[in-house]
Amino acid sequence: MGKDTYHGPLEQVDQCCWRIPKSYKPGMRVDGLIFTDEGLLEQIKKDQAPEQVANVAYLPGIQYASLAMPDIHWGYGFCIGGVCATDPEEGGVISPGGVGYDINCGVRLVRSDLFYGDVKPHLRTLVEELFRQVPTGVGKSGRFHFKDKELRRLLLEGSRFLVDRGLGSNSDIDYTEAKGRLDGADPDALSDRALARGVEQCGTLGSGNHFLEVQVVDHVFDEPAAQAMGLKKDLVCVMIHSGSRGLGYQVCDDALGMLRRVPEKYGISLPDRQLACAPVNSPEGQKYIAAMRAAANFAWCNRQLLMHQAREVFASVFGRSWQELQMNLVYDVCHNIAKFEEHTVQGKLKKLWVHRKGATRAFPPNHPEVPAQYRKIGQPVLIPGDMGRASWVLAGQQGSMEKTFGTTCHGAGRAMSRTAAFEEAAGRRIDKELEARGVIARAQSRRGLAEEQPKAYKNVDDVVDVVDRAGLSRKVARMRPIGVIKG
Amino acid sequence: MGNGCDAVVKFSTKMYETFEHTADLGLRIRSAHLESLFEEAGCALFSVMVENLGTIQPREKCAFSKSGDDLEYLLFDWLNELLYRFDSEHRLFGRFDVEIQNGRLNGSAWGEPWDRKRHVLTHEVKAITYHGLKVQQTADGWMAEIIVDI
Repeated sequence: MGKDTYHGPLEQVDQCCWRIPKSYKPGMRVDGLIFTDEGLLEQIKKDQAPEQVANVAYLPGIQYASLAMPDIHWGYGFCIGGVCATDPEEGGVISPGGVGYDINCGVRLVRSDLFYGDVKPHLRTLVEELFRQVPTGVGKSGRFHFKDKELRRLLLEGSRFLVDRGLGSNSDIDYTEAKGRLDGADPDALSDRALARGVEQCGTLGSGNHFLEVQVVDHVFDEPAAQAMGLKKDLVCVMIHSGSRGLGYQVCDDALGMLRRVPEKYGISLPDRQLACAPVNSPEGQKYIAAMRAAANFAWCNRQLLMHQAREVFASVFGRSWQELQMNLVYDVCHNIAKFEEHTVQGKLKKLWVHRKGATRAFPPNHPEVPAQYRKIGQPVLIPGDMGRASWVLAGQQGSMEKTFGTTCHGAGRAMSRTAAFEEAAGRRIDKELEARGVIARAQSRRGLAEEQPKAYKNVDDVVDVVDRAGLSRKVARMRPIGVIKG
Repeated sequence: MGNGCDAVVKFSTKMYETFEHTADLGLRIRSAHLESLFEEAGCALFSVMVENLGTIQPREKCAFSKSGDDLEYLLFDWLNELLYRFDSEHRLFGRFDVEIQNGRLNGSAWGEPWDRKRHVLTHEVKAITYHGLKVQQTADGWMAEIIVDI
């Protein structure tokens, strides 16, 4: 399989949306819709991501359209940046590939009462200390070990399990998507391998594009929304991007193994094995859902423990407790997940399985699942960019319910492959270049830093412009990185 | 006969390469025989994870057995097993010996526990994927492609 350019049809619907008509391939049940603009579209066409949008439209029970966000790029099976909603009442399927290996990979943002000027003189110490205390990189186990009964309870209860043990506060739960817990998780649906991989990995960052960043509010676009989130210009925050670690990868791998011959069993024909799926209302579908929910709960605990460790480091560096530093959670969002949600399709209220593979929930103002404090402004959406330029805080808008099953983008999206980014960085010191831009970065692997260099990503500002104009989510604040730790 | 990755690198006859995949990495392996294709695939996987395969000493042997009627799934299972050993036991492998008969794979992998001082890790491979998974007979032997999730 090569990195071929997409030559299939793309019809412009409006300024921010292009259609792949279902007539493109005989197996497509609905159209594909890509939210983008003319500039980003040129990059999107350079690989097979649009083809993957078309392939997802084959899935039984798919509603409305196979959707993609402007940060779409070539994934495996599903594109990254894809959204697919299926109706179990119409034979709808659940597909582990529509969630991804890193189940409930997501982002959380923690604010503080510190401003850039307070942190700048201590920035190097702070980053070094974060790098020392927070486990990053391949094979790093954490200081928190959860075995047997404890691990099972953690998988059932999510963030609440940790808060009850003093590793967080009640408000952390209130400001986490789904309150940090998906009901219906079944630890018994996990293999011994998945459980074994979870024992030592809760509270570890991992590698690849995962990060923990110290950021500064660079520019506020929506004053009332920023105020509701406790954000103001120059305020120092911490953004954490990680997921369910080896436990989640194993759950996905086990499910894909279980599903190898299942599509044929239910008479489902697929254009790519990685799209393997099972009807929601089948024993195989139910087993995956129960395991996926447990892995999602694990991921929330992972980010909760990463935040806990960051709070400890801030407390030791600045000599005040994290409560005094007001290091409160702004919000935590998932961007690799499938959830059972209510949506209106062609005027009819339905309960659908919404797969978000590299896409973020963006519920609008007044949605019952948005915490009371944000009810007027819409759900906070956290969009990590790259480690040199920016990340974003957005708020969900009504357009998301009308066009994308309450969803927006999840990041900048890669512009270069890992190989190309590494080769492009030959002979350069990415950490030194970042330092010249005022960012102190520490990573376990120099290669990792090269592959994750700012140029490897599209400009997140362009991606955010599209979702803002499309009415999916609106700009609240632009965040600038000043400290980065990575695997 | 087992295939030593260090020897492969030394004589510059590497039978695997990476190919571009936007977010992840693709591995392409070519070999004259099916068994050596699987052995080379083991080398290719660990070459993504470790900076220098030559630093992995063949001190311990792990044996695996897998069966399946589909060569692509068999290759997937073999690599997946190796990856699991790394992730759960932090073992690195650099030499492989594979026999395949009647849909049954008997494989051995030689390596040692990961030693931070000697082994520089480069990528965390989250998973072996089924996307674009290929095992094909070619005019001069065998070719496999596999994309790993980084």
